[in-house]
Amino acid sequence: MLTIQNLTISSGSQLLVNGLNLELRAGEWLALAGESGSGKTLAAASIGGLLPRGISYRGTLNWKGTDLTNLPPARRRKLLGLEIRYIFQDYQGAFTPFITIGKQLDELLSTHTDLDRHARRALGIEALERVNLPGDRVYRSYPFQLSGGQLQRATIASALMLHPALIIADEPTTALDSLTAQRVLKLIAAAKERMNTSVLWITHDLRHVRKYADRVAVMCRGELVEQGTKDEVLYTPSHPYTKRLIAAIPPLSPDAPERLGQMPLSRRLKEGALK
Amino acid sequence: MRIITKHDLQAGRKLQRPASVAPILLAMSVLALIMAAPALAPYDPYNVAIGERLKAPGAGHWLGTDHLGRDLLSRIISGIRTTLGTSLLILACSMLIGVPLGLLSGYLGGLCDRVFKRAVDAFMTLPDYIFAIVLSGLLGPGLINLLSAVIAVKWVSYARLARSIVLLEKQKEYIALATLSGVSPHRIVIKHILPHTWGNVLVLAALDLGKIILMIASLSYIGLGPQPPAAEWGSMLNEGRLYYHTAPHLMLVPGLAIMLTVLLANIAGDRLRDKYDVRNKERA
Amino acid sequence: MLRSIGKKLLELLLFFLLMSVVSFCLLKLVPGDPVRSILRVDDVAVSNEQLEAMRDQLGLNKPLIVQYGIWLKQLVQLDLGHSLITHRSVFTEFAGKLPYTLSLTGGSLIVMLLIAMPLGTLSALYRDRWIDRLSRTISLIGSSLPSFWLGLLLIQLFAVRLRMLPPMGEGSILHLILPSLTLGLAMSAVYVRLIRSSLIESASQDFVASARARGLHPARVFLFHTFRHSLVPLITVFSGSMGSLLGGTVVIEVLFAYPGIGKWIVDAIAARDYPVIQGYILFMSVFIVSINVLVEMSYRWINPEIASKGKEIG
Repeated sequence: MLTIQNLTISSGSQLLVNGLNLELRAGEWLALAGESGSGKTLAAASIGGLLPRGISYRGTLNWKGTDLTNLPPARRRKLLGLEIRYIFQDYQGAFTPFITIGKQLDELLSTHTDLDRHARRALGIEALERVNLPGDRVYRSYPFQLSGGQLQRATIASALMLHPALIIADEPTTALDSLTAQRVLKLIAAAKERMNTSVLWITHDLRHVRKYADRVAVMCRGELVEQGTKDEVLYTPSHPYTKRLIAAIPPLSPDAPERLGQMPLSRRLKEGALK
Repeated sequence: MRIITKHDLQAGRKLQRPASVAPILLAMSVLALIMAAPALAPYDPYNVAIGERLKAPGAGHWLGTDHLGRDLLSRIISGIRTTLGTSLLILACSMLIGVPLGLLSGYLGGLCDRVFKRAVDAFMTLPDYIFAIVLSGLLGPGLINLLSAVIAVKWVSYARLARSIVLLEKQKEYIALATLSGVSPHRIVIKHILPHTWGNVLVLAALDLGKIILMIASLSYIGLGPQPPAAEWGSMLNEGRLYYHTAPHLMLVPGLAIMLTVLLANIAGDRLRDKYDVRNKERA
Repeated sequence: MLRSIGKKLLELLLFFLLMSVVSFCLLKLVPGDPVRSILRVDDVAVSNEQLEAMRDQLGLNKPLIVQYGIWLKQLVQLDLGHSLITHRSVFTEFAGKLPYTLSLTGGSLIVMLLIAMPLGTLSALYRDRWIDRLSRTISLIGSSLPSFWLGLLLIQLFAVRLRMLPPMGEGSILHLILPSLTLGLAMSAVYVRLIRSSLIESASQDFVASARARGLHPARVFLFHTFRHSLVPLITVFSGSMGSLLGGTVVIEVLFAYPGIGKWIVDAIAARDYPVIQGYILFMSVFIVSINVLVEMSYRWINPEIASKGKEIG
């Protein structure tokens, strides 16, 4: 559905992403892992044409047969509103602080759909309720009146509201506590099941990857170093960088002992590979 | 998502640009100019020569003469001392009054500081410009009165700045360490806190200089400044406007002198602010 | 809520009381004798008996605190005394002059907005391009100009050379153009920079990036998200500079012989017309404080977060 070929992102003479190739199929959850600065966020931003000024990219971005690199602005906006939705790490910055959540959902709907006022309101409240928020109240609230977890769920409600084909979630859980993070991921997973939405999940933390992702791609210093099914990447990593990332996972889940047993091995491998 | 913003990139670019010291050097040479002003003037700025009156710029009198036949260039040069010299004096006095008071209030804290803060806040609500006009008007026209009036409205902002810096520094660990190791309080203020205030005070002063020059010039223009025959750029404009038709240079030259001086002061202030990055500190 | 309003009112009351003390004491402290200046108006030799009689008549022989009490009592009844020169009530004089100054202030605000808004916005949108450099240079030069000099030049150009506009005085809307233009131009120099930096700051906020990532039209994002966010610092600075704006009107009114409160006070100072000066200081503080209250209310509209926390800015 989304094919990225030979994507190169640069700022001036500085190369930030180098020749990235990635494919995302319909209904697939792909985790794009790597440390901060590895270029994963920039790669994700380039899909929607959201790179900041001064940063340019080359390569092919193919979305269902259309080339995303040369999209006219109006077409791109429609695409961002209806088909590809972003969820960002900083939920505080997801909504404009001085406009109610309802108004911002309404703004989104009136920009991208022809629904009348009542239908838009109903749809907005329904979307909020689908992420287990008290729809009516949140609809009337300002962002600062919600807790962090509520805000991130409202963001997800906004992202899922128009049944997008792809959700690009850029570290959606990093700023949340682990219980809230679980809930957020479950919400995305449920939406994926219900609407066959693809998910591109940017993360630096492989903790939850095994539970939610179908495939994993690992980036390091602007290059893709490894990709495969989650089992391949997590249990038989081939690149030393991936091994280091896996080794850095703290034991957390109830089935951790089984994983713990593997970690000394990978650590030994890592140390061997590094020397 | 932590997108690298344009801001970050621009900030990075700015750092690479070498800090220009030219305006600061210029300011220094202006100071030297103030000192040397009387020696530089080709004529006596107060020498009345009715036969030579309202001459256009040319040989002999480079910038022409005024309505009393006085050499305009000499008057502009001697005006450096009155206008710029006065402004710098006002700045110095405001700092000397404001900074120690602010430091003291901030350092002592408690009731004393609260009263001080209230007073300063009430003072800041007053429009300084109007206050200066009323005050200098009541004191009567004249350079000294003008000076006192402007100082009376200007020192407050320095006190406020110094106080806020002390409060900021007091929270830092090194002050607590110094106190714990038995350094005496006034030593802490002088050795540790005062150096931190200089950069900020300097930036405020540089940005203020232009405003003070403009304030003095406009107060002089409405007749509250030094009295004739003193050469002050604002009052020269006041005298010159009557002769605009026959001698336009009488209005253009002093105005340009004010503008260039303020422009230089503003550029220097901007550079200093970039250097010390005061605005970012204020935001934080 | 009620308590915070009550506290605010009490603070305001204290502030006005303080101002009344300041303006009262100021005039007692400065050199000069109002009685002499009143009698000097007639330009005849003044005998000591006359001086004493006048002092008694004005109550200047009573102790200071009693004088203040009398003055304050009249003040509460909105009676600010009578001008020593025109013998008209200070309040009526002020009310008569205020519209002139208000229309001048309004006119220069319009000029300022018409110039600074587009220039500042363009500067922010096309950062570091030629239009930005140009408008920054203009604003740097503009903020270095003495406003009265700019006024003189404008008079020469539009009134003397082109004969398009009346050079001074008042009477028609045409008389308002040159003073407003002068003050507006001088002000816009500062505001171009402010609007620019405020917009750039707002545009770098995460919520702006989020709004664009929702596929909203850039114009819509700018108007409803970026711009409104940048209003808070702008209005803060604006309310803070209200004083210098009013100060600016003084010089401009003198320059254009425009009969507003600025020219009124300068004339009053020259004549040592004490009741007028006292009244003026009080009027100005009331005016500026009311502006500040209005500004605080506008924050609540611009940013509901401030309203909900009852927090003040600046």
